Amino acid sequence: MTALATLPPAQFKSELKPIWCPGCGDYGVVQAIYRALSAIGRPPHEIAFISGIGCSSRIPGYTTAYGFNTVHGRALPIAQGLKLANPDLLVLVAGGDGDGFSIGGGHVPHAIRRNLDLTYIVMDNQVYGLTKGQLSPTSPKGLKTVTSAYGSLESPINPLLQVLSCGAGFVAQSTPADMPGLAAVIEEAIRYPGFSFVNVQSPCVTFGEEDQQVKAHKGRMQSLASKGHDPADYLKALELATHYGVELYTGVFYRNPNPPATYDAQVRERQAELQKTAVPRERILEMFQKG
Amino acid sequence: MATQGINFQNLSLKDALDLAVLIEEEARDRYLELAEQLETHHTPEAAVFFRKMVRVEEIHRSQLDKRRHELFGDMPMTVTRAMIFDIEAPEYDEARADMSVQAALQASMRSEKKAHDFFARALPEVRDEAVKALFSELRDEELEHQRWVQLELDRAPGEPNPAFDDSDEPVAL
Repeated sequence: MTALATLPPAQFKSELKPIWCPGCGDYGVVQAIYRALSAIGRPPHEIAFISGIGCSSRIPGYTTAYGFNTVHGRALPIAQGLKLANPDLLVLVAGGDGDGFSIGGGHVPHAIRRNLDLTYIVMDNQVYGLTKGQLSPTSPKGLKTVTSAYGSLESPINPLLQVLSCGAGFVAQSTPADMPGLAAVIEEAIRYPGFSFVNVQSPCVTFGEEDQQVKAHKGRMQSLASKGHDPADYLKALELATHYGVELYTGVFYRNPNPPATYDAQVRERQAELQKTAVPRERILEMFQKG
Repeated sequence: MATQGINFQNLSLKDALDLAVLIEEEARDRYLELAEQLETHHTPEAAVFFRKMVRVEEIHRSQLDKRRHELFGDMPMTVTRAMIFDIEAPEYDEARADMSVQAALQASMRSEKKAHDFFARALPEVRDEAVKALFSELRDEELEHQRWVQLELDRAPGEPNPAFDDSDEPVAL
């Protein structure tokens, strides 16, 4: 691992120009990611950014890290495989609310309980923006879209509550309306040794509701630190998470004060243990020959 | 608009100049981002105006940077970009595909007002006389910039009348 504390945020910005709609929240998110990576101090070649499909899943291409824009909902399995194959890589995963909590929804609890050292950043805009504004798993009940002309009849998934209840060791939320705060929680999530989750309320400027836009966030957001929340308090974190969709809390909901061993660390430990009694390669053929 | 970890009561002239340079730099970089977004989304007129603002903010930045180096040479900076956000920079959600030049100018006007308010609000906290003089000068300059943007606004073509936009040609008489 190389420590380069002086790489400026611009070093993480690729030559590729983002094609998100002007006014999209994701422009602020990618800037916050550049800042967080600069603060972490790892060079781009030691970082891999894996994403699914959707507007926000374009993010890896806008960074100078290794990137893989995979298939819909499958960013987490691919990221886990990558981390196991090369544990020294800093692996970030990105996607939207549809990618993470609908199409890839089945992977989230298992990635959490497996606890590889990954940071999962979900850009939650409560709508499928890339495909022209259909209902997504976090769309509020009653939302009128092209697929719900009379208003959605479904209750939304609460991503914060879901990942907390699955046992994620680090859970935070922010918005591009608070860039320094967003960069800080992404940095903290990366530094957490284990699966970390950051829900970013990143508005869709084209299909999103007016009260979900960045300007509205500036008036609504409340930092958890200013409310005196202790991120080590799991039960309080659960209670605060129930306000998802009503209040816009920013900051760290939960940080496990005693992070358990990660899956990748346990794999390495077991490999080292088994290595002690492993039959040398050259003797394997001999064993078969002897029957 | 936000600052983190800046104590205006103890701000030195060097730090104040560095802060002013960073504020102009952030605005320059943001205007560039918005210009590139609008170029990508086929909104060239507003993009041209934002490109003009890139040059304007760079001139302000380099003037302040020159003053800083004349007074303090290469003494290391203790304030960073991470300490500021959206002080003079237009906000990300100001940009819209197909925005008019007038809308771009209005976004710029809001940014100049934000910058003026930042210095006006910081001034009562500042104790150092040299920093007070600098912040007063910068606050007044933001008023000058607002007058310049207003002149541009007065000259800019009006918003297109939506009643005449995108109307279908009559298919039969």
